[in-house]
Amino acid sequence: MTKKEIFIVSAFTENSVWKQVLGICSALAVTNLMKNSLVMGLGVTFTLALSGLTISLLRQYIPKRVRMMVQTLIIASYVIIVDIFLKAFYPEMSKALGPYVGLIITNCIIMGRAEAFAGKNKPLDSMIDGIGAGLGYSLVLLLISFFRELFGFGSVMGFSVLGDWWYRWSIMVMAPSAFFMLAILIWIIEGPLRANRKK
Amino acid sequence: MGKNKIPFTESRSYPVFFMILITVIFIGILATFHQITRQRIENHRILSYKKTVLSLFDLPFTNIEADYNDFIEENNQNGMDYLTARKENQIIGYGFNISGSGLWGSIHMIIAVTPDFQEIIKLDILDQNETPGLGGRITESWFKDQFSGKDFVEQGKIIPFKLVPEEDDIDLKEIRQITGASSSSKAVVKILYLELQNIADKLGIKYD
Repeated sequence: MTKKEIFIVSAFTENSVWKQVLGICSALAVTNLMKNSLVMGLGVTFTLALSGLTISLLRQYIPKRVRMMVQTLIIASYVIIVDIFLKAFYPEMSKALGPYVGLIITNCIIMGRAEAFAGKNKPLDSMIDGIGAGLGYSLVLLLISFFRELFGFGSVMGFSVLGDWWYRWSIMVMAPSAFFMLAILIWIIEGPLRANRKK
Repeated sequence: MGKNKIPFTESRSYPVFFMILITVIFIGILATFHQITRQRIENHRILSYKKTVLSLFDLPFTNIEADYNDFIEENNQNGMDYLTARKENQIIGYGFNISGSGLWGSIHMIIAVTPDFQEIIKLDILDQNETPGLGGRITESWFKDQFSGKDFVEQGKIIPFKLVPEEDDIDLKEIRQITGASSSSKAVVKILYLELQNIADKLGIKYD
């Protein structure tokens, strides 16, 4: 596969959320505001890219029996480095991100890509795969959060667009709406859109 | 008979050796990075705290350190730490660090009250671990600003504020709770009520 194909497959064709149904926990938790989704998406993309690169560089030396422990250690280390870096050099951004940085460790897409791709492929390819998977994940989060924030708060990216006349749909702010928004998204992509592509 | 020597990378001890080695390397990197940035992070934390204190009393913070030293005095009475804010030699209010249990962890707040200890000047959240996007919204300005100017004393007693739905209008004793995060909203109101009582007890404040 060329580098472009690797990116397209990990970001779209085999998208971690709508195709593999991974990373659902964070997709449900942070998608009631677009800003939170963007931050989460960028954090996951950064961690995916660097952990993929590192795991691929070490792949020939990592013993099979302890590979998941090693992957977890590498992923957690990168997340902690990001957290410390933001606290030391960008304190305002660190305060705004709050607990999201720590939550990146629990995202199963990172572990999934480490197991499925980085452990078997070249470093640069693994990094591109990580960036693709991260941006694909971010795209889903932003799509869901756009509708949840719009109907739940009447705003987009924190800017009020619907005005005071809009009666906020409280359900859109709460976790259950993320379930059916995600289900609708998967249905549209895997149903009508896929059928159109086949024609 | 020739002895078949197993390569070290295929021996049973290799995974243990590798795990120890990589753990030491990564923990070493993290520890070094933490040590290098520790003082810088602590300085940011102190500066951020002082800026929050000054903004609670609507005091200027062009030079945070100098302004804090000019306007704020740190005091202790009966084991209770508190801040006294002065402007033009007049006490404009007192500040208290308060904390209690939230939904997932502790919520740390700072409140500024009027010199007669009857009204909240302003409240801010210093640290919290509530659900991002739900309970985490207790840090949003609209939620915190509701407490400003609220009188917490009624008939000589400290009273808890009443929570109403987010869309409702509020009176002087009510707070709009966050939709989908009633537990976190309740926690803030409860911490405030219990800590105000605690402060009044420790400082011997009586209402006639």
